[in-house]
Amino acid sequence: MSERKTGKSGGWSRRGILKAGATAGAVSALSIGTPTFFIKDAWAQKAIGNFPVKGKSVVFGFNVPQTGAYADEGADELRAYKLAVKHLNEGGGMLETLKPSSLKGNGLLGKKVEYVVGDTQTNPDAARTSARRMIERDKVIMFGGGSSSAVAIAQQYLAQELGVIFMCGLTHSNDTTGKDKRRYGFRHFFNAYMSGKALAPVLAKEYGKDRRAFHLTADYTWGHTQYESIKQFTEKEGWTTVGNIMTPLKATDFSQFLTAVLNSDADVLVLNHYGKNMINSLTQAVEFGMRDMQKNGKQFEIVVPLYSRLMAQGAGPANIDGVLGTTNWNWTLQDAGSQAFVKSFEAEYGFPPSQAAQTCYVQTLLYANACERAGTFYPPEVIKALEDFEFEGTGPGKTLYRGGDHQCFKDILVVRGKGPDKKKGKYDLLEIVDQVKREDVIYPVNTFPGELGPYEPA
Amino acid sequence: MSGSLINHVFLQILTGLQLGAIYVLIALGLTLIFGTLGVVNFAHGALFMLGAYFAVIIAGKFGFLTAIIAVPFLLFIIGIIMERGLIRFFYNRPHTDQILVTFGLAIVVQETLKWIFGANNIPFPLPRWGGGILKLHEWLPFLEGFVAYPKWRMILIFVSLVTVAALFALLQFTRFGLIVRAGMRDSEMLRFLGINITRRFAIVFGLGAMIAGIAGAFGGPVTQVDPEVGMAFLVPSFLVVVIGGMGSLPGAVLAGFMLGMAISFSAQYSAIQQIIIYLVAVIVLLVRPRGLLGQKGVMEE
Amino acid sequence: MPVIVFAVIALTMPFWFPLVGGYAGLDTKILIWAIFAIGFDILLGFTGYLSFGHAAFFGVSAYVTGLMLLHYSANIIPAMIASVIVTTIIAVMVGFLTLRRSGIYFSILTLAFGEMFYAAALSIFSDWTGGDNGLTGLPTPELFSMPFKENNVFYLVAVLAIIGYYIARRIGNSPFGMMLRAVKSNQTRLEFTGLDVKKYKLSAFVISAIYASVAGSLMVIYEPYVATEFVHWSTSGKLVIMSVLGGVGTLFGPMIGAAFMLYFENVISAFLQEQWLLVLGLVFMFIVIFLPGGFVEGAQRLKRAIAGKAGDGNASKGASE
Repeated sequence: MSERKTGKSGGWSRRGILKAGATAGAVSALSIGTPTFFIKDAWAQKAIGNFPVKGKSVVFGFNVPQTGAYADEGADELRAYKLAVKHLNEGGGMLETLKPSSLKGNGLLGKKVEYVVGDTQTNPDAARTSARRMIERDKVIMFGGGSSSAVAIAQQYLAQELGVIFMCGLTHSNDTTGKDKRRYGFRHFFNAYMSGKALAPVLAKEYGKDRRAFHLTADYTWGHTQYESIKQFTEKEGWTTVGNIMTPLKATDFSQFLTAVLNSDADVLVLNHYGKNMINSLTQAVEFGMRDMQKNGKQFEIVVPLYSRLMAQGAGPANIDGVLGTTNWNWTLQDAGSQAFVKSFEAEYGFPPSQAAQTCYVQTLLYANACERAGTFYPPEVIKALEDFEFEGTGPGKTLYRGGDHQCFKDILVVRGKGPDKKKGKYDLLEIVDQVKREDVIYPVNTFPGELGPYEPA
Repeated sequence: MSGSLINHVFLQILTGLQLGAIYVLIALGLTLIFGTLGVVNFAHGALFMLGAYFAVIIAGKFGFLTAIIAVPFLLFIIGIIMERGLIRFFYNRPHTDQILVTFGLAIVVQETLKWIFGANNIPFPLPRWGGGILKLHEWLPFLEGFVAYPKWRMILIFVSLVTVAALFALLQFTRFGLIVRAGMRDSEMLRFLGINITRRFAIVFGLGAMIAGIAGAFGGPVTQVDPEVGMAFLVPSFLVVVIGGMGSLPGAVLAGFMLGMAISFSAQYSAIQQIIIYLVAVIVLLVRPRGLLGQKGVMEE
Repeated sequence: MPVIVFAVIALTMPFWFPLVGGYAGLDTKILIWAIFAIGFDILLGFTGYLSFGHAAFFGVSAYVTGLMLLHYSANIIPAMIASVIVTTIIAVMVGFLTLRRSGIYFSILTLAFGEMFYAAALSIFSDWTGGDNGLTGLPTPELFSMPFKENNVFYLVAVLAIIGYYIARRIGNSPFGMMLRAVKSNQTRLEFTGLDVKKYKLSAFVISAIYASVAGSLMVIYEPYVATEFVHWSTSGKLVIMSVLGGVGTLFGPMIGAAFMLYFENVISAFLQEQWLLVLGLVFMFIVIFLPGGFVEGAQRLKRAIAGKAGDGNASKGASE
């Protein structure tokens, strides 16, 4: 029973705060302005989540999809997490390139970093159950991972409820740091809005301005926001959106939807699919002859706005040949941070990391760095150390962790799939068409609604 | 607009047939086993899935042609083993126990496959002769312009129709079929007549499993091969059986293709698309409680 | 008497459960599933009707609770009442349509209806349910502005589980309960007596749906989030498994089954890794084949085998029935 007590110090004594939490907007706005007043004097050392950390080690929870549509990503995320823990305890990797950094490579705040692993099953409910188990059974101080925005958002809310920081893995929905942003959730990955902004000009340049697009969209938060963003920015370039079908996340056979595309007058197919969904829909679109088809007197084109090297590998070079999209990061980048990560990852596993791996690795280091900078695991202090933190050495250029919505801003990549004759080696599947500058993809914090909520969980 | 209305409808029908083909193959076995043995086999999806896994493995090692001969045979054996080793002990127990034990078996098969092959789907490459598209406008004069369809999916439709024809022929023109059909009507009567139906029970079960194997081998490249696919297809297949009328083979064929068509033609209305098969089921059951071609007296009060 | 035994076991759970490897939060979940399972036993255990669609009632109720908390009031009372009312109405309709058939047909029909609710939550109602995202952003539930978290939720759930068990036992021992058991043993004979069997079956069906509704509602109060999984048939499957493992028709058995299943899923799974579900499936098959009465029957057999030593451990739980 002692766990229940130390865990969350009962609701009774903090009823004043709980009430304040109900009027989250006002309080959170206030506490951004005067954080130290609250923390240093009145609430320091309060038990929040699994703080204080007892014993000689501190536990991270890595909740990744080991099954379901995004399982390939999950497997790579886990590799990156293991590497991050190794580097935190023993040094190496991006610890040498991250600036500014307080990480010493001897554990975290004098404690050895350990981890537990869970399976999100690419399913918000399973993810929450697993995360809750990590928090309540394994006493994790931070958890992270995931490859689905629905899963990330569900876990962000849980993080806020239980007062344990969640460092998102791969999540690309605008909602994650938009309408569903949470004080206890942080995202390093880019989002659909940035993808649209970066990709649309390239599409107009490559395929012309009078294109007619049909979308197939995964039916959950990520798909919805990506469809909206791609539609918005391609229409700005003069394209017409002739149709969209929301496809179930669990769909594996897309033939009935592809038939509908064939029966429309579209000359571009936009696949707002990721992971297995994308591998299947793209493969089947090619199977239906869409790559060899003429429509409206133009070559029919397929676009995959969110691309990853793992998906490209799954779909095969013949299918991705020439297909355009965007990506957060690619292992061929030459900056010092990327190279330090790629080298240590390859040394460990024998092949280069994916963008999912990179984002999870960086997130773990950033969390640890924030703890070191704050000098405590106390979540409100760690959150403040992360907010508006600007750093470099984790990828090309400088990155900003914006305090207003917990979204990272950095350069992103427009890429094109390499066909069988163009690629050099098994993992060389994406050609970087354009590196879009951070200034060109950043947007005002009030572009999306939503409130972060209080520093102290209700 | 490019292409004519005829083209559109034609493509939708093809897609409907192709989607229905797998439902038909799975539902045929289900309803055959139910009709003769009175057993609802919750593990039937697992048999289909086993078929797909066997097909991937055998096709990878010995080529696809070997797989399409070996897999139905293997599944036939597995079906007989399953009936003799497990199901027959349940003929005299409450009906719900049959459901429970086959449900348990379905979980065990699913989790075993997950253990051995992992939770992810394993790629099922098409044989070289089955890839590519068929340019249908070159064959069918009523189609305008360019109308193509993936060759493999056409093969799937063809295989499904041939299987249906073969099964009906077997039941219609052989002595075995006569007894099975009689058994579907009234199994007690057969026992009175001194006909050994237990041995035939096993064969019927094997036959159902065999058809599931055919579905797995030909449907696998379309449905994907992962440990969840069995359960994913079991529920719609049950619907097919119920809509068609429990124990009615023509009903299963009719309902299977009907559901395929419903899914195909509703594809553009995504909200309806996911619920359409249930809507069809509810409407059919309200209008015809026994299902489309169901016989009187099956599971009624 | 068994009610008091159960009350003591349930209410002291926070003290002994961590000693056997459990952790805070899991005990609450176990008791929520226990409520779900008790209700299911009134249908399956008493009448013998195996429903594969009870996830629909659990899930619909969870959604109603979630929507009430979100749009009406964070107070749990109106949310729970609304959930039970909506679920009851749906249960009457579904029961009316599915109970026209018996045995296996009934199982398949309930499965189909259940999946229809799942598909509807994902598609036509997704604006309300949040579809695959789940229903997020719910406020912390409260009771007359007293926040409901952790301990409070546990004791609320425990008290409702005890009441639920008490009512179920009363039903079981009443003439109505006898009628239901008669449905299981010989329905035809019952019909000859001129009784309206349909009415009894429908009542049992609706009562079990109300239990499911209370459980679904509590699940959202315990964790303010609703997932489509709640309506998915796998939730019904889980319910069936735990009921059969524990021993259908005993009321106590399904609760033990619920505890076993969740303990297995969350604690034992740490040792069995990904194979825990395989082991569970094998255990389930073993029970169905060799021990149709579940753990309770096992305990009784054990008790008979070592007649002198009966009186402690599982045997006493079995004996209490």
